[in-house]
Amino acid sequence: MSQDKPDIKEILVTVKQLLEGIANKSKGGERYDALCGAFLLSVIDRELEFGERQDESQSGELQQLLGRDGSLSDLYQQFCQQVRRGELDEQWPAAFDFAFKQVIDKVSVTNPNYLAEMHRAD
Amino acid sequence: MVELTEQQALLDDIVAKLELALKRRYGEATRVENVAIATLGASNRTLLFDLVEPAGRRRLVLRQETLKSEVSPFISPHDQFEILKVVYRHGVLVPEPIFELEPEDDLDVGYVMACVEGETLPKTLLNAPEFAVARRRFAAQTGEIFAKLHAIDPGEVAFLEKVVDSVDPLAAQISRYDAYCEYHPGLDVGIRWLENNRPKDKPRVFVHGDYRNGNVILSPEGIEAVLDWECAHIGSAMEDFGWVCLRAWRFGNIEQPVGGFGPRDEFYQAYTSNGGQAIDEEEIRWWEIFGSLRWAVLNMMQADGHISGVRRSLPFACCGRNTSMIEYDMLMTIDGHFS
Repeated sequence: MSQDKPDIKEILVTVKQLLEGIANKSKGGERYDALCGAFLLSVIDRELEFGERQDESQSGELQQLLGRDGSLSDLYQQFCQQVRRGELDEQWPAAFDFAFKQVIDKVSVTNPNYLAEMHRAD
Repeated sequence: MVELTEQQALLDDIVAKLELALKRRYGEATRVENVAIATLGASNRTLLFDLVEPAGRRRLVLRQETLKSEVSPFISPHDQFEILKVVYRHGVLVPEPIFELEPEDDLDVGYVMACVEGETLPKTLLNAPEFAVARRRFAAQTGEIFAKLHAIDPGEVAFLEKVVDSVDPLAAQISRYDAYCEYHPGLDVGIRWLENNRPKDKPRVFVHGDYRNGNVILSPEGIEAVLDWECAHIGSAMEDFGWVCLRAWRFGNIEQPVGGFGPRDEFYQAYTSNGGQAIDEEEIRWWEIFGSLRWAVLNMMQADGHISGVRRSLPFACCGRNTSMIEYDMLMTIDGHFS
């Protein structure tokens, strides 16, 4: 931790409170923009908390499924292209499970309350 | 403040040109009054105004195209106007088409139609006490409207045959998705499932393509007008059924599949008893899964508008992240957890 206080989380909370305050005092487009801004800051907060772990775990699974190395974005591209061409039809349950896990990871960062009970972390 | 001034200047310019356009058609004494911005939508700008003539006053709506993109999924305003004329003639509940803009109007492309009073905000419609009767009637009324719409001879809107969604709707969505050069494992798994489970060919009918909670004007008594015909095309009648039942259009009221308003059985029964073809529930489920793909791609389009700088907007930035929730709906539906 090379930076002085406040840390990132504290800064995010502070700016989010500012935006929520603006939303409470405004109407129409300005209120909606402020709420969107506050929402995006909460996304950043969760992404900082879970993102790295999710990326590592997905990379491992994709390397095993596709039998190759690469950056996560390369592996996504490879996975999508192979699924599209039907090359993973023989391993459909594994391909489906990976895609589902990747989507659940994304939703748990974007809006965890959207997940059904069966997919909630706690 | 700068932004507000710019918007006011734009509005003043439009109103001045609109008044000239109206004078050319209705005479020099014509005036424009009570202008209001209804929506600055994703693809259209909508202005409400009074057309004031010596003979009287009429509330009208100006729709102008605002999205100019090579991958736009929307048909041209000219074709939209042609469609309005056809469906109005057949007695489908739509605003009366008044006139189409011409190059000499210098108002870009678009048209003017009658203003229909009522509400379109989905959450208000689903929650406000004054819409209780309209809510109860929505599913059956939609069945009746679909029956009337799908009975129109597609030959009357033959120009829609050239729309890519008329040729192969799944290929059309895939090509839009590919245009953004993004890789979404959930969407590709969904696409593969859709390819492997394509429904059998059905009679081809005229479909609205975007009939949903939010694109329909309701009064407390029920549906008053169907709006937003920019996704109309020729295809399976079941496509319209799948889209109106998409989870996203239930706005949290997930127990009521028809737009968050009502149950499927009333909807299907009203359709068949008004002359609609037999309902294929398995095919409707396919179109709901297809609908998730389509809605996810539309959200990518909004996010792209923000990221590319064409239409910077915080809500559009949120759309990019919303895609994950739509993918979740899609996979939960394929996996049999959602209906």
